[in-house]
Amino acid sequence: MTMPFGRSAFLRLGAAAAAGLAVPARAQQIPPRSTTPVTISFYNYNLATAGLGAQATRDLIRGFMQANPHIRVEGVGVTSTQILARTQADVAAGRPPDVAQLIFSDLDFIANSLGVRPLQDIIPAEEWAEHTAGMVPNGLRLGAIQGRVYGIPYVFSTPVLFYNANLFRDAGLNPDQPPRNWDEVKRAALQIRERTRRNGVFPGIYSSFDWLAQSLVLSNGGRVLSPDRRRLMFGEAETVEALTIMRDLMTSGAHARLGEAEAMDAFGSGNLGMVLTTSARQHAFLSASRNRFEMRAAAMPAFGDKPTRPTNSGSALFILARDPLKQRAAWELMKYLTTREAYSVITSRIGYLPLRLDIVDDPNFLQGWVRENPLVLPNLEQLTRLEPWESYPGPNYLQISRIFTAAVSEAVYGNADIATLMRDAQTRAQALMP
Amino acid sequence: MNAEAPAIALAPAQASAPRQRVARPPREFGAHLMLALLSLLSVFPIYWMLVSGLRADNDIFSTDLWPAAPSLDNFAYVIESIPIGGMILTTFMVAAVSTVLQLVTGLLAAYAFARWRFAISRVLFALLTVTWLIPAQVIMVPNFVQVSALGLLDTPGALIIPHAASAFAIMILYQAIRSFPEELIDAARMDGGGHMTVLWRVMVPNMRPALASLGILLFISSWNEYFWPLLVTRSVENAVVQIGLQMFMTQEGDQWGPLMAAASLVSLPVLALYLVLQRQIIESFVKSGIR
Amino acid sequence: MTGRGAIGLRQRRPPAQHKAVALLLLAPATITLVAWTYWPLLESFRLSFFQWNILPTTPQLFVGLENYRRLLDLPELNTAAINTAIYTFGLLPLTILLPLAVALATQRLSGPMRNLYRGLIFLPMIMAPVVVAIIWRWLLHPDHGLINRGITTFGFDPVRFLQDPDIAIWTILFITGWKLIGFSTILIAAAIAGIDRHLSEAARLDGATEWQVTRELTLPMLSPVLLFLTMLTVLHGAQWSFVYINVLTQGGPRQATTNLYYLLWDYGFGTFAIGWATAAGMLLFALFGVAAAICMRLMSRYAVYER
Repeated sequence: MTMPFGRSAFLRLGAAAAAGLAVPARAQQIPPRSTTPVTISFYNYNLATAGLGAQATRDLIRGFMQANPHIRVEGVGVTSTQILARTQADVAAGRPPDVAQLIFSDLDFIANSLGVRPLQDIIPAEEWAEHTAGMVPNGLRLGAIQGRVYGIPYVFSTPVLFYNANLFRDAGLNPDQPPRNWDEVKRAALQIRERTRRNGVFPGIYSSFDWLAQSLVLSNGGRVLSPDRRRLMFGEAETVEALTIMRDLMTSGAHARLGEAEAMDAFGSGNLGMVLTTSARQHAFLSASRNRFEMRAAAMPAFGDKPTRPTNSGSALFILARDPLKQRAAWELMKYLTTREAYSVITSRIGYLPLRLDIVDDPNFLQGWVRENPLVLPNLEQLTRLEPWESYPGPNYLQISRIFTAAVSEAVYGNADIATLMRDAQTRAQALMP
Repeated sequence: MNAEAPAIALAPAQASAPRQRVARPPREFGAHLMLALLSLLSVFPIYWMLVSGLRADNDIFSTDLWPAAPSLDNFAYVIESIPIGGMILTTFMVAAVSTVLQLVTGLLAAYAFARWRFAISRVLFALLTVTWLIPAQVIMVPNFVQVSALGLLDTPGALIIPHAASAFAIMILYQAIRSFPEELIDAARMDGGGHMTVLWRVMVPNMRPALASLGILLFISSWNEYFWPLLVTRSVENAVVQIGLQMFMTQEGDQWGPLMAAASLVSLPVLALYLVLQRQIIESFVKSGIR
Repeated sequence: MTGRGAIGLRQRRPPAQHKAVALLLLAPATITLVAWTYWPLLESFRLSFFQWNILPTTPQLFVGLENYRRLLDLPELNTAAINTAIYTFGLLPLTILLPLAVALATQRLSGPMRNLYRGLIFLPMIMAPVVVAIIWRWLLHPDHGLINRGITTFGFDPVRFLQDPDIAIWTILFITGWKLIGFSTILIAAAIAGIDRHLSEAARLDGATEWQVTRELTLPMLSPVLLFLTMLTVLHGAQWSFVYINVLTQGGPRQATTNLYYLLWDYGFGTFAIGWATAAGMLLFALFGVAAAICMRLMSRYAVYER
């Protein structure tokens, strides 16, 4: 029995080969306006949650449809851990979504295997320039590989050091002066441990989404991937040094000896002084701490004097439609979702960061909200130094990421020689590079 | 009563030994103690789940045995934010139909295997029971493609049809049928019954404990499925309860209170089913017309 | 499946027309399993020699044994293998011995208490696995967990149930077993209910003690179920613990709780990198296939059926 799509794939290849000879090399640009009625499907992971994200997204979609009555958007909620696999499966089954919200760590795969074309190829240059004016330049880079932008960044967050002001006070620390570098973090954590017997600090760098671990490496001047994207570099000196500092936190007792999920619980229950994690957790932490302890936020700690290089965790919007009419409709949706109004909603109601900083001080948009929610300020400041979440190339990119994060865990929690450990991991992962 | 002696012989010396007066109270007490402790251990986490659903977000990690300010807010939130009623119905329907199908196909197959033995049947038995070893994820992708080609995506069919038979059910039922006393079958046959009569009129009514136990295990297995439904369900309305639960766990943090409230709601149908079936499950073997 | 010790439904060689009936009866189950398990299995087997991401636009690249080699090269493999053995045999007391004790103990009790105990012990089965994991994480937490609160009031240090590499695997085992006690109890109780009362009554009248009745009569009668449950545990123990490992420890701390199934899932099934996933599946299948063959042999040799 042959695979059901085996034959169609063959036919498709044949058709493409034939068509390739007839059509000029430059890809077709989308029509200048959307006028005919069209329906597009939108895969979105906020819709698959049972909270604020879903409602806000639904409102945004509704707003779009009201402004564009001839475009109907079918929002499909797919949980974030599955959204790439679902998109992939649907492309394989011949029914791709028209727009998808996909995570940055999959960018290389999306660009090279899902057949998404760079936006500059299909969108008229002027329109692109006009729409992206005012966006944080580092932000736009997030969806690009070597200069070609495949997706427009949509929702994302950066690393933030949340801390428990009550524990600080109890330990004799000043909550108005949070630690700014890892030395200060260690001192504060040890003091918390000594005076209050609670856990000191937890850097959330161990999750299988390796963006925060990458951020740590970058902040110490290292890289995980060479600029030409051919060589892995997470076994080199800067990474080893950063991890040695983390290991020291652990052995000295400053680093909570917990797993990542337990550490998040511990912060919520008031038993952890500081936690370095995604700013998107702010709302959940605020709920947990209400009337029990005062929570504050600070920027990611630095290594000595080196400026931090925060990466982001989040997703971009990609066009997967093939039909130019649908592509235009998709692009209209994407534009709508990345306007100032939309970012105001995304930041104030879902808890992500705005890609447009001009709305922060604008009373029409976020100024009032920021005043009431000062916790977001350290985050906004970090936006200017944003780095992309590096996506590994090739078909084995997830396994490479696994090897990296497993090595990071072992380096901090274990007692083997860190340099050897990371070098070995790098070598093994390098074998999986294309 | 069977004229032949039981196959298991008891040491003949015992027959003449005086009946031992075992001190009953201590032994029973010991049994009760063990069972009570085990029951407590079994129930407590469930109690904790229920109670956590009554707690506010900032009280979730409290160790008080009863919340300071219990409220049904989380339950209301769950009902508002996800179509949990629909999900429960969908999941219940899918699980019930799958279970019935697995029991029926299992009975037919187990009967055939237990009754006859010929070259193909042995090969088939081996092949069928081997399928049981295959981790679900391995076959998920080709199955997804099949389901998609059949146009079954986002329908209950996608959840039910691939699970119409269960190697586990076949094996359990095979055991049960093989243990079935020959006399009852012979009696039915002498009354002129064919295979189906023997199976449905004689065996099945007398296999109620096995069928009910197996049924509830199959039901729970279907109820707890997550990865396959995640793959073949597209819309939230057609989702199953496990997917619904996961909706409270996000990258931005987890909504613990609502999650526990939802989990409590989701446990109720299974509990109800158990209560309904438990009479069948523990009922003792019904004696037949052999005197 | 031999006829040895097969008192009870005696298996016969069928005459031709019976064969037809037999095949007809076997048809629904067979067709389902072939279509939805065998065919995909063979397809997966074929795909395990390729590198592909199931997209029709990407060619399937033949890589021979490369996928298998990469999996077998994972440094965590050894620890995972040892842990798998620990999970398998460590679960047996919780999936066989304890449920057996419960089933036997409740057997002799009368009406309401028996139902009550069995009902309560069954309850863990109604909880969603992911919720079981989270509740136990809370209860066992070193800082705010109820159990450690109890431990610390007695003056001891909190126990790091899930963070101490020496203890974590036993914690996961415990949680897995906890969830499953009801599963085995229900099957064993059903099997006990299926034993002819007359036999045990006759034995008691002959002066046998309760313990003798249990040992010589009940247990052998339960041998099919017990052996079946043993096989089930051996073959699926590593898989049963998967949800708890996934939610609670992700194989850690430092690979202390990983097992073959989790490891292969982590590297293989987490994505649609088909080569990895299917090769991982084939390895598991081969390994447990051998184990199953041994178990089936043992079962047919030692299982006893009632006459």
